[in-house]
Amino acid sequence: MSDLLSIATIALAGIVQASLQLSLGGLVLLYHSSMGRHRRRKTRYLAKSYIWGALTISFLAACAGAFLIERLFKGAVAREAVFVISGILLASAVVMWLLYYRRGRQTTQTWLPKSLTRYITRRANGTSDNIEAFSLGMLSAFVELPLTIAIYAVVANCLVTTTQPFIALGVYLAVVAIPMVTLKLRIKTGRNVAEIQRWRIRNKAFVRIISGTGFAVLAAFILTYWGL
Amino acid sequence: MARRKKITYEYSHDGVKQSVLRYAKGVRQPEGWAEQMAERVAKVTDKWIADKDLVTEDDLREVIIAELERLNEDVAFAYRNHDKII
Repeated sequence: MSDLLSIATIALAGIVQASLQLSLGGLVLLYHSSMGRHRRRKTRYLAKSYIWGALTISFLAACAGAFLIERLFKGAVAREAVFVISGILLASAVVMWLLYYRRGRQTTQTWLPKSLTRYITRRANGTSDNIEAFSLGMLSAFVELPLTIAIYAVVANCLVTTTQPFIALGVYLAVVAIPMVTLKLRIKTGRNVAEIQRWRIRNKAFVRIISGTGFAVLAAFILTYWGL
Repeated sequence: MARRKKITYEYSHDGVKQSVLRYAKGVRQPEGWAEQMAERVAKVTDKWIADKDLVTEDDLREVIIAELERLNEDVAFAYRNHDKII
């Protein structure tokens, strides 16, 4: 596979991961609770730490995956593994279309168990320093692992096969960061959390369809280029 | 005031005020207006609760939201939906 195709695959994987809502929801929560308690400057630092935390998990997962693929498959994943990854991606697409959001009009609650979301909400409300915000970002990226694990496998395989792994990794992390950075910029330019949350509620069906379709397209793409 | 799991708390004017203030600041309302809004809401809940021995947290929440909807939609929205973000 050419470098360009690897980077395009990684960008697609990044877009699919960026369309997941938990990290973004965690950041909205953090903004909301922090702006009610701290000065704006402190809130900005907390948000920055949160984003770095979420990106750190993506970075570590992709690198760990690349290391495992290098060790286990000596270069690139075997055809059987490609079928498994495609299957997981297709299953994730179905989960996105049917189960990702909980029912209810005025909500963007996701499939996560309520005890876990309550824990994240409590952590977001209690976050007052950068390390806590960083670990909250890590946590929010980590708990979506059931949906992102196949994405990490795709990214890891691209990192192993391309001759430009650092550029590919940079592209992936930049794409994953786009929604969180956009949210940060929207807040910086005067929007408030209620307006952003209303936007998320209005567009959740659209996000669900795009995200599910993204998973399906990624599955078809890797099946075509790596499996056949 | 009664909360879930049958734990009871003493109603507090300051508790309501601080809670509304936090939500108002959370949606970037100017500090002075946020203070005024919080005080007004706390006065309304004081009046509402005066003739009651025991109320639930949800009842109190609804009274707060109803008053906030008159004062500022964004704060009311944030108050109502804070636990429905993720």
